[in-house]
Amino acid sequence: MTTTLAPRRRPARQGGPTKGRPASRGGSSVGRPGFVWALPASIFFALFALVPLLAVAVLSFTSWSGLGDPKFVGLKNWEALFEDPVMLQSLWLSLLFIVLGIVTQTPLSILLGVWAAGNQRNRAILSAIYFVPLLLSSAAISVLWRALLDPNFGLPGQMSWLFGDGNVLGTQTGAIAVLIFVGMWQFTPFHTLIYQGAARQIPPVLYQAASIDGAGTVRQFFSITLPQLKNSIITSVILMVVGGLTTFETVLILTNGGPGTGTTITAFHMYQEAFRRFDFGTGSAIALVLVVISTVISFAVVRLSGYDKMRSSLEGL
Amino acid sequence: MNKHGWVARSLAGGAALALGLTMAGCSGGNGAASRPENEIHIAMYGDAGNTVEQKIIDTFNATSEVKVVLDKIPGAEYQSKLQTIIDTPTAPDIFFNWGGGSIKNFVDADLLLPLDDFIKEDPQLKDAFLPSVFETAVIDDKAYGIPMRGTQPVMLFNNSKVLADAGIANPPETWEELLEDVKILKDKGITPIALGGADRWPTLMWVEYVYDRVAGEGLFKKALEGDTSVWESEESRKALGMLRELVDAGAFGTNFDSVKFTDGGSPALLASGKAGFELMGSWEYSTQQSSDPAFAADVLGYSEFPKIEGGLGNEDNLVGNTNNFYSVHKNTRYPEAVRDFLKLMYSDQFVQEQVGIGNLPTTTNTEKFLDKAADPEYAKFQFNLVKEAPSFQLSWDQAYPPEATVTILTAVSQFFSGQIDEDGFIKAMQSL
Repeated sequence: MTTTLAPRRRPARQGGPTKGRPASRGGSSVGRPGFVWALPASIFFALFALVPLLAVAVLSFTSWSGLGDPKFVGLKNWEALFEDPVMLQSLWLSLLFIVLGIVTQTPLSILLGVWAAGNQRNRAILSAIYFVPLLLSSAAISVLWRALLDPNFGLPGQMSWLFGDGNVLGTQTGAIAVLIFVGMWQFTPFHTLIYQGAARQIPPVLYQAASIDGAGTVRQFFSITLPQLKNSIITSVILMVVGGLTTFETVLILTNGGPGTGTTITAFHMYQEAFRRFDFGTGSAIALVLVVISTVISFAVVRLSGYDKMRSSLEGL
Repeated sequence: MNKHGWVARSLAGGAALALGLTMAGCSGGNGAASRPENEIHIAMYGDAGNTVEQKIIDTFNATSEVKVVLDKIPGAEYQSKLQTIIDTPTAPDIFFNWGGGSIKNFVDADLLLPLDDFIKEDPQLKDAFLPSVFETAVIDDKAYGIPMRGTQPVMLFNNSKVLADAGIANPPETWEELLEDVKILKDKGITPIALGGADRWPTLMWVEYVYDRVAGEGLFKKALEGDTSVWESEESRKALGMLRELVDAGAFGTNFDSVKFTDGGSPALLASGKAGFELMGSWEYSTQQSSDPAFAADVLGYSEFPKIEGGLGNEDNLVGNTNNFYSVHKNTRYPEAVRDFLKLMYSDQFVQEQVGIGNLPTTTNTEKFLDKAADPEYAKFQFNLVKEAPSFQLSWDQAYPPEATVTILTAVSQFFSGQIDEDGFIKAMQSL
């Protein structure tokens, strides 16, 4: 994705070596991989990502139900999209899901990950058990929680102090809370894994030096572990953002976008327009909106965090 | 070679390819020649009833050179899958549907074969079925579907033990009796009526019946033809007011929006005695039977939807799935074989097999097999309901084309949960 920025940089390159690009480029490229190396991956990416993306872009300007030929309707789908109250609401809901997802999952998975990186008794066994939700399919997880939350025969029937009359999925607040909770249950193990790996890479000398200086466990965590995990946190957050935007199965099975349109997030709205209303034009337009938003957010996170410079947090060691 | 030039070229190439693929996708759907030789494919709603379809196919294949192949598609995805393949070269020759709105778009896109020529050659293809049922798949005066499987009227089911314990001697015959029963059961701490509101279509059944009883079958027919002013009529508002009264009386409890029929939640409420009634399609019986045969046989009761005093609709009108149908793709390679296969849909073997698994075909020869049904009394009750009904309204979500379904189901569920009022509901229905 550097191609759009590249032309502006070109004059600078003639002035002298920048960013360590070797002068031998295009000549005898000994030891430096040419673009041919990237060809298999590029073809794969073009065929399964770019081509569908372009097809979706084209479809977003058409009216098509899957029958007959798509008819070009210009900007009609896009105009309708911006006036669609459900679309606007779905964007806010998606944002809410992402923010709540990050807020609930990140602290928990950092703590669990750092804990799992140690070598305590029973750590391996407990980690393995905790890893199980990640091995289950989203559909299975949703069906499981749906059954557990049945108001008459599930947990709510036994725990009225928490669930009231049991109408958990019948209110917007309750339905959102359930989806966030199930997301947390399902995905925290994955992010824990990222942090576990990252925490193991932190050189022990840092902790040894800190304890000589008199820093306690808490101080070590905030002054050494967290800063050292910075790049992993960014990776994990980007994955949560993109994952949050494309959350779908749990919504479909647990709430079906309801009550009413109470949990109709953008990805579910897209499915509903395309495969329930058979309006593939509008569905494609929503898909493009999702692509643009997730690209922009990912770029923003990468830029703001300095992740793009790939600075090592271990310099000098 | 310049890197950026290559990227630009490959992007352009990708765009061309994408357009090419899109166009290729669009130009598909023609030519019987590309279809498999000596095979007729049926796209079928996949469920437990498929064993009977397969038996009928085996009977046909035993003597036919052209073999019928049953392609089962999981039920929940059936409609989506059908829509995406119907206009491609891999479209089925014959496909399962609900008539009405479920095939309207296909007729408009000129994808279906009118069956009138078949019927001319074999009048039984029409005359062997109850007229009110056959009509569901007639569009623009042409027949597009042959009834198969059975009819599924919606009835008011009850737990007779709960009713007896509460001192309710008979299921309610009028709306007032229903409201009284609701009050009695509620006072006893029982959810009066089980409702799988999270599925949304069970909620729609209440709306359909009250509208039909209050305003008659004409209101919905007019709305379907495009006259949306009927939703604002006095009868429409009266129906909505009565539904609101029922919900506010606590008839469905407070957590019905979290309960589903499809995961067994609401049938379990009825079977466990936590609820007194449930309005459901005739499949309630087989649902209960599969989890507790003794309950289905001895405790499960059933009655017609109560009549409403002063309403314009006939008290014997029904709503539900009038029937399932087989429709035929116009590009089928073997129309004669298809016709011969469809003739089996009124055969004695077909009717007997269907009755055996609890389905109720609507053929003229059904009656003589009712005694062999899983529960003859229940089968006869149902068959008479359908035979006597002056009007049998196909479920609204099936009568409208699929693009309207989301709007209808969202509106009824929001109306029941109080998120929108009468005006909101009327506005939603007028947007169709």
